[in-house]
Amino acid sequence: MSPSVRLQELIRVIRSARTQCEERGVIQRECAAIREQFRQNDNGGRSHNLAKLLYVHMLGYPAHFGQMECVRLIASPRYSEKRIGYLGAMMLLDEKQDASLLITNSIKNDLSHSSQYVQSLALCTLACMGSAEMCRDLAPEIERLLKASNSYIKKKATLCAVHIIRKVPELGEMFTPSAHSLLSEKNHGVLHGAVVLITELCERNTQTLDNFRKAVPELVQIMKGLVMSGYSPEHNVAGISDPFLQVRILRLLRILGRNNDRASDAMNDLLAQVATNTDSTKTAGSAVLYETVLTVMDIRSESGLRVLAVNILGRFLLNNDRNIRYISMTSLLKIVQTDHNAVQRHRGTIVDCLKDQDASVQRRALELSLALVSSVNIRSLMKELLLFLSTCPPELRAHAASGIFIAAEKYAPSQRWHIDTILHVLTTAGSDVRDETVPNLIQLITSASELHCYTVHKLYRALVTDISQQPLVQVACWCIGEYGDLLLKGDCEETEPVQVTEDDVLDALETVLQSHMSSPATRAFALTATMKLSTRITENVDRIRSIVSIYGSCIDVELQQRAVEYNALFRKYDHMRAAVLERMPVIDKGQTNGEMSANNIKDLEQTDVKIPEVPLPSNQLCLEVCDLLDLLGGSEEPLQPSQAPPSSVPTPSSTGTGQDLLDLLGGVCPAPVPVVTGVTVYEKNGLTVTLQCDQRTETSVTVSLLASNSTDSDITSFSLQAAVPKSVQLQMKAPSGDVVPAHGAGQVTQTVILMNPNKVNLKMRVRVSYSSQGSFCQDTAQIDSFPTTAWS
Amino acid sequence: QTHLICCFSPNNRQGKLRLQKWFTPLPERERKKIVRDMTTLVLARKPRTCNFLHWKDLKIVYKRYASLYFCCALEEQENELLALEILHRYVELLDKYFGNVCELDIIFNFEKAYFILDEFLMGGEVQETSKQSIANSIEASDMLQETMEEYMSKPAF
Repeated sequence: MSPSVRLQELIRVIRSARTQCEERGVIQRECAAIREQFRQNDNGGRSHNLAKLLYVHMLGYPAHFGQMECVRLIASPRYSEKRIGYLGAMMLLDEKQDASLLITNSIKNDLSHSSQYVQSLALCTLACMGSAEMCRDLAPEIERLLKASNSYIKKKATLCAVHIIRKVPELGEMFTPSAHSLLSEKNHGVLHGAVVLITELCERNTQTLDNFRKAVPELVQIMKGLVMSGYSPEHNVAGISDPFLQVRILRLLRILGRNNDRASDAMNDLLAQVATNTDSTKTAGSAVLYETVLTVMDIRSESGLRVLAVNILGRFLLNNDRNIRYISMTSLLKIVQTDHNAVQRHRGTIVDCLKDQDASVQRRALELSLALVSSVNIRSLMKELLLFLSTCPPELRAHAASGIFIAAEKYAPSQRWHIDTILHVLTTAGSDVRDETVPNLIQLITSASELHCYTVHKLYRALVTDISQQPLVQVACWCIGEYGDLLLKGDCEETEPVQVTEDDVLDALETVLQSHMSSPATRAFALTATMKLSTRITENVDRIRSIVSIYGSCIDVELQQRAVEYNALFRKYDHMRAAVLERMPVIDKGQTNGEMSANNIKDLEQTDVKIPEVPLPSNQLCLEVCDLLDLLGGSEEPLQPSQAPPSSVPTPSSTGTGQDLLDLLGGVCPAPVPVVTGVTVYEKNGLTVTLQCDQRTETSVTVSLLASNSTDSDITSFSLQAAVPKSVQLQMKAPSGDVVPAHGAGQVTQTVILMNPNKVNLKMRVRVSYSSQGSFCQDTAQIDSFPTTAWS
Repeated sequence: QTHLICCFSPNNRQGKLRLQKWFTPLPERERKKIVRDMTTLVLARKPRTCNFLHWKDLKIVYKRYASLYFCCALEEQENELLALEILHRYVELLDKYFGNVCELDIIFNFEKAYFILDEFLMGGEVQETSKQSIANSIEASDMLQETMEEYMSKPAF
């Protein structure tokens, strides 16, 4: 049987095996035979055996015992054996095998072989799997071949040099002189190799890069020749003359022109020419244009050229070829920050791509659209984004939702629009939004006081329709609890009037409480809302009483505790109920960065007492959101209910049970506002208390409170008390004194150490007590932020 | 730089490898895993999606020709459209050599497919941009093989 048939026969047999097991059997037998024959040094069939082994290897079977055979075959004088031996080396040997070193000598000999095809085998193998050591050994040979007269060998030697430099960068110096001269070659293969070599050299050595900048005019000439040349059948691809070479030259120009005005100038005209003359109907042309655009955007190009480049990308967006649309968007994403206006011009097309069928195109269109949102286009663009949200693939929903929230927060034209937008997202993609959406939305709602009526109506309607979206349900419950009276009043200018009875509202809340779809957190919201309604409705208070008492034996511990406490509020502390369940004040928002949050910014800029002074419907005792502050633990002594004289500054009342009941907004914690050290935390009656940060580590902060007095008389009996969030530990050092001298003659200082192992948002409430000009004062100041760097 | 170029036919979800050329040294086990992951990803692509996908820090460019997928793994900064042209050029070369190439040609003459690839790419870069030039080189190499065989009066491979 003729050997070549034997290989093909084996392949046929393997393919006809009906099961994996059968195939394995055939192969194992064959491999055993091959192994035996390798051992016998059978001269005739060696290459056939190795070929069979390589086939088997490709199927995934082990073939390491063929490695030495490769070495032997490479050393053979026969071309056919060398050819398969080198192939075997490239497939079976890599630089990690010891056997690879053994072929170094054969390669060296073959590099000087009389036949260029043998030389080619050696060059190819070296460039494929040559180890650093082999490269060092053979580099001089390669350098010699670079100058050979034969372009067939030259082009291969050039790419071999590229491999050598990748493995042993220091050897770059050896090849640098020859590299430049290779640019004057006419042969495209050599030229291409030369460009690749120069690129590699420049990427690794900045000095070489500087040197090669003088090659820019030469490269420009070569490019011009390619672009302007007539039809050349040898190198033509869809009307483009050698797109492979063009792309490599463009990439080299990019590296040379980067951060260098002179080089960028020298290539400006050429790039414009390529950009305008290249036909992009087929992929080849588009590839060249794409590379041109990348180059233009990366070098110091004129603005006109940049606009031209962005327009090319815009044109790509309209291309029928999906691939071209995809890479266009990837590129636009990269430049949308730096060339924002230019990209804005193509917004329409980008938004259209949201409807593309390819999910990766859609994702990029989404990212681009979000990057293009501005105060000018927010309304129209948001419509498109919301539409996208309702139809987009599920894996993109979370990204879309959070992007929409960020955009809405930044550019909302009105509060009502903002609330509507968030509600729309919650109804469409409620399960995909992040956790902090709920407190953020609540904060937003409280701050839009004129819209309370509208908001609660809208939310009630949404709740009645669908209680499966947890974030929406939570916000709705909170609003109903808070503004239930507005809901029951019935008339609201902004929406259609609807008659809601107290029973309807309680029904809605009870449905949420009882539904298996409601998460424990949601049920907690619903229970608290129900409780709050007890002061906002008139008829059905008994119903609430019974709901609350039922949940007193609920299995869920959280609900049970709340219910028990609410029960207590009904019975023993009924006199306090109205006060405890009062309307909430506007919540301080930490980071604010939109026009509509102007009010909050004003609040934050007043560094006086930090309690927000907001007009409240009925204002006796204003209660802070205090779930973070455990005034019973932490401070030196519990703060008693304040008997402060009626002052314009409302002071919080705090009792034991009161604090526990105010666990109303589980996750609400405004982020700290960045504040410079040395901030004034209290300023009144001539007394100024400032906070200074002495020391901060990851888990602790040491601050000093300094009190100074600008009045004419001393301030006496001065003392500070402090309270901090539950997980934070407080240590107050002894104050320097209790008299603050008049006229700012001296200061009282007190050091406070806060230990924050859980790294929570740090806050501190400080009570200041003092006697000034005959009267005793007691005030509280809240410090919402410590210098941001404390937690970076 | 291209790290890998390979060719496989769909076979359930994993694909049967017909050709693989690595340009980066990696242990055998890792190579197998990468190829397996790549082929699974490509075969899972829905119709009417683009020919590029991201995988780890590489770009995968693939194109289907009849019953074969041609696939390459590139560095992040490579030009994907040009990679498509490279794949296409390789298929054209095979077609020219075998005359209307089909999958069986590549199966039964896999070593020839490698020889052709080695005239087109080297070290992960394009070596020769002229189709004719490559065809001439392959022809000459084949003749050299035959000539030497005849000379040694041994049967041709």
